[in-house]
Amino acid sequence: MNSTNIAARAESASKIYGSGENEVRALDNVSVSFERGKFSAIMGPSGSGKSTLMHCVAGLDALTSGKVFIGETDLSELSDKEITKLRREKVGFVFQSFNLIPTLNAYENITLPLSLGKKLGDEAWIKQVIDTISLNDRLNHRPSELSGGQQQRVAVARALATQPEIIFADEPTGNLDSKSGSDILKFMRRAVTDLKQTIVMVTHDAVSASYADHIVFLADGKIAGEMTQPTPDKVLDYLKHLGE
Amino acid sequence: MFRLSLKMTLARKGRLLLTSLAIILGTSFLAGTSIFSATINSTFDRLFTDIFRDVDAYVRSTNSVDTGFGEVRAPSPVSALEIILKVDGVSAAVGDMQSYARVIGKDGKPLGEDQGPPTFGGIASSSAAGLWIVESGRLPMGAKEMMLDRKTAEAGKFVIGDSVRVNALSGTREFSLVGIANYGDVSSPGGATFALFDQPTASEFLLKPGFVDAFLVQGDGTLSDEELAKAINSALLPSDKLETLTGAEITEETTSQIKKVLGFLTTFLTAFSFIALGIGCFVIYNVFSITAAQRQRESALLRAIGASRRQVTNSLIVEAVVVGLLGSILGFVVGIGLSQALSALLNAIGLEIPTSGLTINMSAIVSTVLIGTIITTLSAILPALRSGRVPPLAAMRETALDVVTRLTRRVIIGLIFLILGVIALVASVNGADVKILGVGVLAVFAGVLVLGPAISRPVAMLLGKPVSKIRGVTGTMSQQNAARNPKRTARTAAPVLIGVALVTSFTALAASIKGEIRESIGSSFRGDYALSVNSRGFGGIPISVTDKIDQLPEVATATGVGFIPAKVGDESPFVLVFNPKTAEGLYDLEMIDGRQSDLGKDEILLEQDKAIEKNLPIGSTVQVTLVDGRTLQLKVAGTYKDAYGNYAVSRELFEGTATPLFDSFIYISTVADVSDKNARKAISAISADLGVGTLESRDEYIDSQAAQVNQFLALIYGLLFLSVVIAIVGIIITLLLSVFERKHEIGLLRAVGMTRSQVRTMVRWESVITSLFGAVTGVVLGIVTGVVIVISLNESGISGFTLPITSTIFILIGSFIIGVLAAVFPAWRATRTNIISSIASN
Repeated sequence: MNSTNIAARAESASKIYGSGENEVRALDNVSVSFERGKFSAIMGPSGSGKSTLMHCVAGLDALTSGKVFIGETDLSELSDKEITKLRREKVGFVFQSFNLIPTLNAYENITLPLSLGKKLGDEAWIKQVIDTISLNDRLNHRPSELSGGQQQRVAVARALATQPEIIFADEPTGNLDSKSGSDILKFMRRAVTDLKQTIVMVTHDAVSASYADHIVFLADGKIAGEMTQPTPDKVLDYLKHLGE
Repeated sequence: MFRLSLKMTLARKGRLLLTSLAIILGTSFLAGTSIFSATINSTFDRLFTDIFRDVDAYVRSTNSVDTGFGEVRAPSPVSALEIILKVDGVSAAVGDMQSYARVIGKDGKPLGEDQGPPTFGGIASSSAAGLWIVESGRLPMGAKEMMLDRKTAEAGKFVIGDSVRVNALSGTREFSLVGIANYGDVSSPGGATFALFDQPTASEFLLKPGFVDAFLVQGDGTLSDEELAKAINSALLPSDKLETLTGAEITEETTSQIKKVLGFLTTFLTAFSFIALGIGCFVIYNVFSITAAQRQRESALLRAIGASRRQVTNSLIVEAVVVGLLGSILGFVVGIGLSQALSALLNAIGLEIPTSGLTINMSAIVSTVLIGTIITTLSAILPALRSGRVPPLAAMRETALDVVTRLTRRVIIGLIFLILGVIALVASVNGADVKILGVGVLAVFAGVLVLGPAISRPVAMLLGKPVSKIRGVTGTMSQQNAARNPKRTARTAAPVLIGVALVTSFTALAASIKGEIRESIGSSFRGDYALSVNSRGFGGIPISVTDKIDQLPEVATATGVGFIPAKVGDESPFVLVFNPKTAEGLYDLEMIDGRQSDLGKDEILLEQDKAIEKNLPIGSTVQVTLVDGRTLQLKVAGTYKDAYGNYAVSRELFEGTATPLFDSFIYISTVADVSDKNARKAISAISADLGVGTLESRDEYIDSQAAQVNQFLALIYGLLFLSVVIAIVGIIITLLLSVFERKHEIGLLRAVGMTRSQVRTMVRWESVITSLFGAVTGVVLGIVTGVVIVISLNESGISGFTLPITSTIFILIGSFIIGVLAAVFPAWRATRTNIISSIASN
């Protein structure tokens, strides 16, 4: 595989909690890559290790064994400070909830990673991102004054603001109604197609997953399969097989 | 439910610890003060019981003046000893003396502290009724011999055969040390120094030939103490004006007199311990409010599964009682250590108070634990009621933790307090009672505290502005965090506010008093040098020394000023005694009416306001009773503006009486062509011979007199230190709880790229902004209070307000440092926030 096309990858990644009889293998020797400029999804039932995989690849959590790379950078060789800097500059995040800092307004939240790095960022790019999420008139509002859907759009904009190598989204539509949820998914889709970004999304929802170019299925901490060009029906069908 | 509450309380050890900490600090000062008071009281109890252990009866003069700082009694004629010894039932009797005498060390400096335990001269006798037991050597005999108590001998490294110089009423003399004695079984009672002589030498050197202070009598055991006292009383000559007390009575009386004086100190200390407790209350209340908010979901869950409001409320009250009990008990333990620290503090500023051992009363334990528990429970009532009101539905939804409540009612109540306070303050500025001033100050404080939450947000935003500028988005978040929960910020800053306001107003007051002292001495003292001792009221510079200095060829004039207790009308003040013949142009009373140099021996001068208050115009007479019982009718000859005290008489009044006369300070003017060096040399020659007194130039003297205020200020600062510690702990607790509460936020910030050091910066600046909010409001409040107090006390002699600019700057810098220090641990905790668990756990 041509590694320059890979935004992030895991090699023989294992994550073990506890020891002895209480040992839980959240990730069991997982190797996976996420292609640059693509929208990928990680699917699996609860406890399959999909969130753990995302946390480890994103540098939020450390592996028990194996390696993860963002671009060509081996995260296991970095100090906490270097990983923090890497998250700030090369990784974007969208979480299910608690996405925004309540004391900062929408605009400040969007530019937060840049401000933390004392960088101004690419103004034209930020303007383009804000236009894409169409929240121009709400930029001075605090998160508490925004709807759930608007908050998630701000979160997506924040993830995009630094033009990161890769964006991780953990159940980004989990707390939203279906209309707002599909809006967010459309924005993410456009970010990949029109703005050439790379997104990895964790979800257990087949419809959400069908927005992706590529799906990795996880079960019991292991890769259970992959799928390209998914549709909701294909995904549901596959999940049914997985359950058998 | 009770057991459940108990279990829930004990399950949260961290919270339990934090809350207890606030209570421990709040109660420990209270406990420390009561242990300290009990210890000094029992020390004196033991001391005087020891002293009078073998005394069955005590004969003394009936004439005395009580100035409120201890009683001063007239001497008794030695001739009465013969009469006492002849009384049936008396086995032994001896004259006793506790007059001023100061032993001069081998280095030429007097032994003992200026304001430490007293320095006494006394009588050494072979009589069984005497209190001194010769340890080595022998009893002194004749005018050239003396004995020392063992402790003083050791302190001065004196051995038998040495010659020892002693300063007393009749000047300084040299004696040969012939013996060393113990007082009963102690080396020296209460750390006092004792120079002992035979009776005739003691009377002549320390007091007046033929007189002693009192007589100690021992019975032969045939009569009870009461019968013995009665028998002696009936034998005494009425003309001697003597009375007899039993041993128990004199023990009790002496002890209670000392306790009365110490009572001022303990009341003072108690006042400060209640300030600390009050500040602790804010912290306790704040902790309960925050934890109640944080366990809103838990409370709602309890409600949802069927707990009643009352049960939810009670569960928090149970927690408060448990924490209160625990905290107060620990507070008491800490208080034991604190009582020792109090001794050390008082020693450090020169108020040496003998304490031996540690006296812990059951009542002190009970009252500390009771007060601590009650206060904790009371502080928890409001938060408990609030958590009882949580609707069960709150368990199901995301609860907003930063509830911004309406402030209108608060603003109205705060303004009412403030306005009432200002009215009271304006009234007191215009001459109303001091009590009104106190009420006004309290009301203004209350008003500001109530208004706190309403002003904390804008003030925190303003203070945070530069932080936001310097520190970028991290600073902006500090600013916003400090402002996001105005109530919490105000409550956290309240202890800082109170502490800073008190420090500021005391500093302002002290600065003004210093200015006043400078001005007052500056205008009354016209000479070149001052020779002073720091022991007003007991001993000093014998007036004979003043006259000797006056005779020096280098000196133009020297005039002495002393103080003596007397009954004047219905008061018992210290009366200023000066020499009208030499005072002119050297010690200026700033006369309003009359001339101070014309003051005769049948006349008295009054301070202007006193003359008006007592309705004593010039020409009227006032009755003055001296310590020796002499009653005089003195004519008011003039009024003056300002001096040490409200009454002034001529020293001629005491010529030929048994009243020992000392000067507290001597003002000296030199002849025109004498150099500073020669003048000092000549005066020092006499004062060095004396062994006591500090010689200073006019400027030095004014500086050192003004600096005496610093001692008082140091005590206040020392006592307020604990309040500052409580304020710091309060900030630490709030920050820890806030960090815990915002762990999602901190986790998110870390996820999107905030470094650990940025997290620390964020918490630190929030802490600094909070602390500075308290400090800035405190400084404003303190200065306002200071100004008002200074103006309303104007009549008492303080005019003109001096703004302590440097101190204010130091206070603000100090609060900045407090903010930084308080943030250290919470900031560290914040960096330990686990990103995954704070973000992913939904």
